[in-house]
Amino acid sequence: MSHSENHKDKQPLLSLTGIQKTFPNGTVALRGVDFAAYAGSVHGLLGANGAGKSTLIKILSATFPASGGDQVWKGKKVSFSSPLEANKSGIATIHQNIPLVPTLSVLENVFLWKERGWRRNPQDRVQFDDICKEVGYRIDPDDLVSDLSIGARQMVCILQALSYGADLIVMDEPTASLAKEERAIVYSTVRHLAQQGKGIIFVSHFLDEIVALTDEVTVLRDGQTVMYARTSEVEEADIANAIAGKTVGTLEHLREVRGTIRDEVVLQCKNLASPQGLAPTDLTLRAGEVIGVAGLLGSGRSELAHAIFGSDKQATGKVIMHDRLMGHSPRQSVKAGMALIPEDRDQQAIVPVFEIWKNNSLPYLDKTAKAGLFLQRDVEMEWAERAIEILNIKTDSPETFVTELSGGNAQKVTVARWLFGDAKLIILDEPTAGIDVGAKADILALVRKLAADGVAIIIISSEFEEILAVSDRIIVMRDGAVVAEREARATDDQELILLASGISENDVANAAQNKGTHHA
Amino acid sequence: MHNSDWKRHFGLREAGVYYALVLLMITLGVVTAVAGRPPYFSPINITNILYQSSMIAMMGVGMTVILITGNFDLSVGSVAALGAAITVGLAGPLGFWAAAVIALIACAMVGGLNGAIVQMLGINAFIVTLGTLTAIRGLVLILTNGRSLIVSTPEAKAQMVLFEGGKIPIQMLLIVGGILLMLWFGWRFLRARSNGEAVAVSVPGGIVAGVFLLLVALWGGPELTVAKPVIYTAIYTAIVWAVLSFTTIGRRVYATGGNAVAARLSGVNVGAYKMAGFILSSATAGFAGIMFGSRLGAVNPTALQGAELTVIAAAILGGTSLFGGAGSVIKTLVGALLLFTLTNGFNILNLGANYQGVIEGTVVVAAAAIYTVGGTRRKKAAG
Repeated sequence: MSHSENHKDKQPLLSLTGIQKTFPNGTVALRGVDFAAYAGSVHGLLGANGAGKSTLIKILSATFPASGGDQVWKGKKVSFSSPLEANKSGIATIHQNIPLVPTLSVLENVFLWKERGWRRNPQDRVQFDDICKEVGYRIDPDDLVSDLSIGARQMVCILQALSYGADLIVMDEPTASLAKEERAIVYSTVRHLAQQGKGIIFVSHFLDEIVALTDEVTVLRDGQTVMYARTSEVEEADIANAIAGKTVGTLEHLREVRGTIRDEVVLQCKNLASPQGLAPTDLTLRAGEVIGVAGLLGSGRSELAHAIFGSDKQATGKVIMHDRLMGHSPRQSVKAGMALIPEDRDQQAIVPVFEIWKNNSLPYLDKTAKAGLFLQRDVEMEWAERAIEILNIKTDSPETFVTELSGGNAQKVTVARWLFGDAKLIILDEPTAGIDVGAKADILALVRKLAADGVAIIIISSEFEEILAVSDRIIVMRDGAVVAEREARATDDQELILLASGISENDVANAAQNKGTHHA
Repeated sequence: MHNSDWKRHFGLREAGVYYALVLLMITLGVVTAVAGRPPYFSPINITNILYQSSMIAMMGVGMTVILITGNFDLSVGSVAALGAAITVGLAGPLGFWAAAVIALIACAMVGGLNGAIVQMLGINAFIVTLGTLTAIRGLVLILTNGRSLIVSTPEAKAQMVLFEGGKIPIQMLLIVGGILLMLWFGWRFLRARSNGEAVAVSVPGGIVAGVFLLLVALWGGPELTVAKPVIYTAIYTAIVWAVLSFTTIGRRVYATGGNAVAARLSGVNVGAYKMAGFILSSATAGFAGIMFGSRLGAVNPTALQGAELTVIAAAILGGTSLFGGAGSVIKTLVGALLLFTLTNGFNILNLGANYQGVIEGTVVVAAAAIYTVGGTRRKKAAG
């Protein structure tokens, strides 16, 4: 099916043909991408990590030029030389990491791009009100951006995009770090904008939101367009297959290997609490058991992880690991056999100046060294090669810098490095956020395999199907407290969402109705 | 991929400071010969440069370590002056060695104080050490009562001369060192070949260094001597380099500066490593101060004012990152040599000291520019 069949009489706002990109270091990111965006249509752009989505977006936003191919904008062939030029022509890009100035107000951020002498301008307020009306979202223009939630900041970016008078808005994973309620606001804004005749390109890893939100989808793989379709005419599974390039087995098979729980108690938490946002919590975990923590952003799930691991200095209560009372020291925790794969890969897990092999040996460096002191490069190299093999990390060599890997592969490095030290308890905090389907499956399969070997596991995720597939027991967190505990086989996605978001049955029904009216 | 590895190691970003020094030395050698000035390449001139740069170079080594851990130390000049003042002041009543030990401990304690304030209160190291820079200078003024101090007994003066003065013939040392380097790296080369592994970049570097030492020994002859501070700096640099390169301690120092949160969550005692960086930097400055005080047997309360800037310049010339996680003490040493070779060049060419500041400042900024521009290539791959 071609683009023109779907939009019979209309000319596309933007059309790309045969876009190629080769980086100076020889990496080929795009090998010929065809893509078109139409006014009034939400176009989903999908692809695994490393498929070329980010590169394509950077070409659209004129962060760097394409190496080949044609870009046609409103009927004219163009080649923008700077992001500002693209903005002024009507293409606004909302990048994944939100580029706002936290110390300035909402109003000042929205009109930051304007070049003029005065810091304050009364017309701005009028225009701001107009934009808010256009979007159907209201925010105090005088609030400091630093005081806003991530979701609200995302909305400020959208307002900024509209202040350029953008006709095409490119959104790079706008919902990746948002909680469910905040996502709903973004969704309704996107639909609203499309109704107003704006073209939207919506990049996401979440298939469900792509299916619910978009009018058409394009899937990239290995730098090429491999699928284009109207969203209403495809199944979720077809999209998933196109992304992965093979038929993805569902996570179902993981359920069959559950039940590896042994008698030995590995971890006991008694009245574990933290002023960071964790109410007193008790928890017991046995060898070979996988506990899933279902909770949204800000539910206290990461606070629980850090309190157990000892990296939260203000935590109170007891953490007992193998009958030993633990202190507030990650070093002691690692020695006692704990491992934490933190939520924020770049900030909390990876040392950017280190290659894969150095990152890989960081937690158990002593074991690679002679007498725990003298480094042995060959041992470290061997470990790194094993890590690459075990988790199927795609790289030329252990000497590659982790920052040069795609997100999924970098994440695998942060998981793999804990496999060399005989860890008895592994805590994974959102191990699959923002990574592709294949990497996700690899990591989840590893979790079950480790459990079978007798490792106790706590896995935190906002994708509840994953938790359902991989856990023996699930605890649900909300507002810093455990609100429910379920056997994994006795619950489902629906129930977990309800418990975690605290929505009553009525609200859910209403939400469904709202969605119906939007589509109408 | 090993190909690109080699390219990286010999590129401007990694090896620029070596090229700069070699280039400068050749230029000075040619210009002095052509212009009929006193020769640059004379054993006396070269050993002079080594002597003049030794103190700054030693402080640079400590500075490099603290920069690698992601911190900063502006107080080294004042701390070195404190070390010198304590040594000179107490050498009379207590004897030089006891005075030196007390000076070293006092200076290490200043480092501990810097570190404690930075770590416990979370104040930026730049601000804290700017404060101690001023405060410790004030302490020196108090201790010396604003006047020059002179060592009070001839016995103490003699001990100082024993510690700092005199020259050591180094021909044998160079020959032994050169042969050891060549044997060690030659063995590594053969082992890598027989195991079918790629040869590490340090191997040819080590062999070249060995050959270089032998050539210097040959050129200098048996009269080739250096002052004791040069030996101290060389030994100290070698020890710090070995610890940073070959031990788990070194790896963790780099990890601490590279990403402190990640290092902590991987079980590295980040607080201790950062603290150790401060203490090492100040103790090194203290040792340099002891050398300085012993050189003249006297100390002036404004001594070594501004030395911290030269020390930092040497570290930056050596490619040490101000953001932590990267740096090499050997290259800092070369950076210090580069700065003092420049000064020396101005002197023997009689160019006038007025131009010196302009040139030195330009060199530092140019070096930083090369490192920054060369560093942008290693960004996250898109996709």
